[in-house]
Amino acid sequence: MSADYDVLIIGAGIAGEESALKLADMGFKVLLVEKEPSIGGKMILLSKVFPTLDCAACITTPKVSETARHPNITLFTLTEPESIIKEVDNTFSITLKKRPRYVVEQDCTGCQECETVCPSVVHDQFQMNLVARKAVYIPFNIANPRIALIDIDNCMLCGACEQKCPSNAIDFTQKEQIISVKVKSVIVATGFKLFDPIHIERYGYGKYKNVITSMQMERQLAPTRPFNNILRPSDGKVPDKIAYVFCTGSRDHTIGNPICSQVCCMYSIKQSQLLMGALPMADISMYYINIRAFGKGFNEFYMQAKDMGANFVKGKIASISEKENGNLILRYENIETGEVSESEHDLVVLSVGLLANSSVTKAFKNKILKTDEINYVKQTNLLQSPAITSIEGVFAAGTATAPMDIPDTIMSAGAAAAEVSGYLNQLS
Amino acid sequence: MEKIKTIHVIKQERTVLPHVNEERKKYVQMRKTLLEALKNEGKTIPQLSAATQLPIDQVTYYLMALQKFGEVSVEGIDDMDEYYIYQLKK
Repeated sequence: MSADYDVLIIGAGIAGEESALKLADMGFKVLLVEKEPSIGGKMILLSKVFPTLDCAACITTPKVSETARHPNITLFTLTEPESIIKEVDNTFSITLKKRPRYVVEQDCTGCQECETVCPSVVHDQFQMNLVARKAVYIPFNIANPRIALIDIDNCMLCGACEQKCPSNAIDFTQKEQIISVKVKSVIVATGFKLFDPIHIERYGYGKYKNVITSMQMERQLAPTRPFNNILRPSDGKVPDKIAYVFCTGSRDHTIGNPICSQVCCMYSIKQSQLLMGALPMADISMYYINIRAFGKGFNEFYMQAKDMGANFVKGKIASISEKENGNLILRYENIETGEVSESEHDLVVLSVGLLANSSVTKAFKNKILKTDEINYVKQTNLLQSPAITSIEGVFAAGTATAPMDIPDTIMSAGAAAAEVSGYLNQLS
Repeated sequence: MEKIKTIHVIKQERTVLPHVNEERKKYVQMRKTLLEALKNEGKTIPQLSAATQLPIDQVTYYLMALQKFGEVSVEGIDDMDEYYIYQLKK
């Protein structure tokens, strides 16, 4: 059996990176593809991690660098699988689509001179749309590869970046590339999607500027934050009465996601602690249904937030309305007393849940990658071999299989690497 | 050898989408207005909104963009510790 690579890993978030590094260290040839312009997934955008409050970037950037530089790992960014066909000899024929960057990767030095002359501004998706970026841009400061790309749909086609680039790296002749490879196995590490709270109209997200998501707050708390300070988006005021609405888009049949997202309680508690550190005079209220602090050190972390002064209210939010000054009125049922109450806050953070990201299933052309009832990749032998899927030779890692936190994702990715290693040894 | 500019190639294949032109015009206008309003003294976002008669949420968004692009910086905070004061970057 001959193939170009031992394994194709789809997705270069923390799960994909971990599996890639483990397998590459064992001597296997790995092809790692990522649809975004940078590897690192969602973790690289976080502020700190719970319950240790370690800096997320400090943990993830060494891993990201190691992944990008490993001699046994070939990395393609802006790339997605178009088709995956299992052949009779048990190899997989893969067709990849690589979107053009319009920047020659080897030539760009990451100097950002192009950004200074670009006249076109758009919402910065890596800052969760809180601030603008240019049409030619480096995704974020710790992006890897740290090279520019051009958002061609928002480009003025003025050529100023090409004029300015000191290393002549801009290349508008680049086209979409179709790449064909043969691999012996596949790991699906496509991660999760965040719930878009626009689907819960009564919370006013998208309508009231001061209702933001937890990921937007995460960016505000990160060292590379959009505003350099924690501000509310409507008028730049430093917030002093902040509310968290737990279980936004989780444990909710009405929006089609009946399960607990596993991480929302803890990341909200983490953010409350970071906010109390950054804004010592601020009141933080946490409206929750149940606190699920099930992991090692989690309950102590929850108690620590309480001791620091976070106000936990067992209450289900019925609706959010806006006052003329941008403050928000939360109407809620206190679950312990049964009373319906209202309270005023100047910033509301929706603790959004995790959803399955099942788009990769469409790439499998002659075999079906089965999913479970809520669209996560089905683990066909959950208790004994959790990385095994419905297709022999295809494995799953991390939150592609279920919501989970960072340590569990790392363990899942390690398990997937071990399964792949065993499978490849069996093949040979 | 000087590299041939490639912008002409893509210009033959694509046109600029209408929303891009509109957003650029808006940014140019907002940038000019905000930088002009900050010329003599630093201001908070509500003060900038009042001085320019622009919607406060838009002042916030574009001022934060100017801060990111290195044209504006924080000078201090107001007496109530509520709003930062922004100034032209020296």
